[in-house]
Amino acid sequence: MTETVLEEKKVEKDWEPKIIAFLCNWCSYAGADLAGVSRIQYPPNIRIVRVPCSGRVNPYFIIKSLVDGWDGVVVSGCHPGDCHYISGNLVARRRFAILKELLEFFGIEPGRVNFMWASAAEGERFAVLIRKATKIVKELGPNKKFQREWC
Amino acid sequence: MGIEEDNIEIISSIRENAKKLLSEDQVDLVIGYSEGTVPLSSTPVIIRKAEDVDKLTWNNLCYMNLARYLAPLMPQLCDREGNALRIGIVAKGCVARAINLLAVEKQVDLKKITMIGFNCNGIVNRSKIDLEIGEKEILEVVVSGDDIIVKGRDWEKKFPYDQYINELCKVCKVKTPSTTEENCIGECKELESIHDEFSDIDDFEAKSAEEKWDYIKNILEVCTLCYSCRQACPACYCNLCFVDQNKPIWFGKTTEYRDIFTFHLIRATHLAGRCVACGACASVCPVGIDLNFITRKLEKIVKERFDYTSGLDAETLPPMMDFDMKDAQEFMLEED
Amino acid sequence: MDQKILKKDQIGKLYNEFAGEYDFYAPIKEKGNIVFEKIENPEDIVLDYLNSKVPPKSVLFPQEEVLFEYTLDEKNVEITDRQNLDQKILIFGVRPCDAYSFELMANFFSFHGDWEDEIYLKKKENSTIIGIGCNTPRSTCFCTSVGGNPFKKGDMDIFLTDLGDKYLVEAISDKGKEMVQKLTWLSDASKNDLKKAEELAKKAEELIVTKIDVDTVVKNLETNFEHPVWDEISESCIGCGSCAYLCPTCTCFDVIDETDHYNNRGRRIRIWDTCQSCLYTLETSGHNPRDTKIQRCRNRIMHKFSYYPTNYDLLGCVGCGRCVAVCPANNDLRVILNKIKNIEKKEDEKVVA
Repeated sequence: MTETVLEEKKVEKDWEPKIIAFLCNWCSYAGADLAGVSRIQYPPNIRIVRVPCSGRVNPYFIIKSLVDGWDGVVVSGCHPGDCHYISGNLVARRRFAILKELLEFFGIEPGRVNFMWASAAEGERFAVLIRKATKIVKELGPNKKFQREWC
Repeated sequence: MGIEEDNIEIISSIRENAKKLLSEDQVDLVIGYSEGTVPLSSTPVIIRKAEDVDKLTWNNLCYMNLARYLAPLMPQLCDREGNALRIGIVAKGCVARAINLLAVEKQVDLKKITMIGFNCNGIVNRSKIDLEIGEKEILEVVVSGDDIIVKGRDWEKKFPYDQYINELCKVCKVKTPSTTEENCIGECKELESIHDEFSDIDDFEAKSAEEKWDYIKNILEVCTLCYSCRQACPACYCNLCFVDQNKPIWFGKTTEYRDIFTFHLIRATHLAGRCVACGACASVCPVGIDLNFITRKLEKIVKERFDYTSGLDAETLPPMMDFDMKDAQEFMLEED
Repeated sequence: MDQKILKKDQIGKLYNEFAGEYDFYAPIKEKGNIVFEKIENPEDIVLDYLNSKVPPKSVLFPQEEVLFEYTLDEKNVEITDRQNLDQKILIFGVRPCDAYSFELMANFFSFHGDWEDEIYLKKKENSTIIGIGCNTPRSTCFCTSVGGNPFKKGDMDIFLTDLGDKYLVEAISDKGKEMVQKLTWLSDASKNDLKKAEELAKKAEELIVTKIDVDTVVKNLETNFEHPVWDEISESCIGCGSCAYLCPTCTCFDVIDETDHYNNRGRRIRIWDTCQSCLYTLETSGHNPRDTKIQRCRNRIMHKFSYYPTNYDLLGCVGCGRCVAVCPANNDLRVILNKIKNIEKKEDEKVVA
């Protein structure tokens, strides 16, 4: 059984990670907007995907992102109790717990996949957490072992 | 102790109870295990008449989880119009757990199922024995006293029973069906919860991410993606499995390591809180992968986070079907 | 047929002679299972085995195979076909049942010359098969019931008989004779060697205890498509497909297009598929002609023992016994064939599905 081997991605001194962020429409996406309007600087490494609720995020999205070559994944939703759909984020929280434990068990570095809560009024908090996540992923280096050659 | 003597008792209790159920017309048919035609195996069988109960047997090679035939319900278990018949099922602890799980998920009607319960004394680890014997042909396997005796054409080898059963059977706490007496004939013992420690995987969890990746790669590399594990699992009853989806295609089906890894990782995610630790997946694997390793981790996650063990009764919702404001969220990213 | 002797410690020499020109495939032990892989180091070759877990069909018809690749730019699509189909292949250590399976697969891949699968047929043309007779067949083997023999030589290019510490080498086909002539360092066989080989052949045939009346099975299958025996036969099957994956003559495959949209390229691959999968016959309309397990189980038996004889006048089974050994539910093919053999006519009963 042969395995396709990727070319070694040269880790240049100024390599920047590519992080995909699934933000819930009502809280986190609005929080990111507020950070932008308030001119709060945060790293441009994230590419945002808007979802209606953090409960919409299927573990397939997270794993497919890693298989496609994204270096990090961030999922953000409303604080528990504040979900626009009442309980979407509570369902999601259990899902994320299981997924995080299993990813670590299988050998994915903890830190590649991050979950957080950020409300629509917390522009500053959103920026702080994204800064933190980017720093963690940058230290981990590029995602070589999980990326599939033909995605 | 005498595993051999236990087995004789178990066989006679299964046959007696099956005979009772069939002759008193309490069930329409009984699913159980019969002698296999090749060593290290056993064949699931359906009997419909009380005279045939002697086909039922129990040896420590009955690794198939019979609840797998209940969802989706096999046509052989339905009548002409497609309604479920009354089924008697030979149930060791994990088979009963699977039936309870299917009942919670509304895939079976417990009123139509009667379990024939007994105290399971473990399943022999086929792949471990195959690996030790190597390329010689095994012609017969018997459990005698407290040993497993494996015989070939002109050789014989003994294995201590305690060390050569499935890893899951070694730490099993639910050997008898955990159900009420109205669903069960024979042995049964209702449990509310079990005490379980996971020292067997704690060493593994302490390793670094690199080491874990290499270890798991070493185990899973030989996978041929035949999907026997998925087919043998009673909890995998989806009409369209995620790997077979093509609108859109989520994950590849080649035997490249990343595809193999993704299949097992996602299957584990789908089984969190639902896996009943029966060990059928590892026993049926044609290349002998030790999937029980992953099963133990799944049990650990739900026990430590939600104090839940699957399949102990037919009412409690599995953790992934429920939520709570007070769930732990120590894994979330927080400001410093 | 000039007979020669190859000593077991000369296998490395054999490898070195041919490894440059040929892709040398032989059995190796991978995590406890014997499989056929390309050999880099002749020390890895394992010859003390009964039969491989994965049949040697994986050499000529691998589990995943690229059919073609393409790249896109602004206006054009450029397609690159398979290269290296002219590479010579040498498969060493094949059992007679598996050697025969290559011939059977060639039937499927050309269908009387109507639809030729260039990739398989070209690879087969360029491959040389060196086989070994079975001194101790397994108890699950039944090649003698389906027209085979543990010492059947006809489908190989070179046939080896294991005489203990050496092999008796017999060139069968022209390709084989040419190859043996190149190996000038082989010693000649003695009369004793030939006599021992004959004795081994006779003993091996006697060791096969499973005898199945396949002619009656084929005849019964012609008229019993709806017979209720199929209910019984398929009841323990779990639909996993292990039998199809490990069968030397199963050739069904799925075709998948993979696109790398980040880099504007893609490829079409084929991977092994199995008729036991519930989606195997799912049509685009949503209709599935074989959506019950009974129909799928029946299809496999019919394919091997009824459709193959109808299409090619040959049985589709080589009697290797892998399906018997690996089936998780122990749905023994020999038991199934016996049940079919014993069918008596019952007019009004039909299968449930």
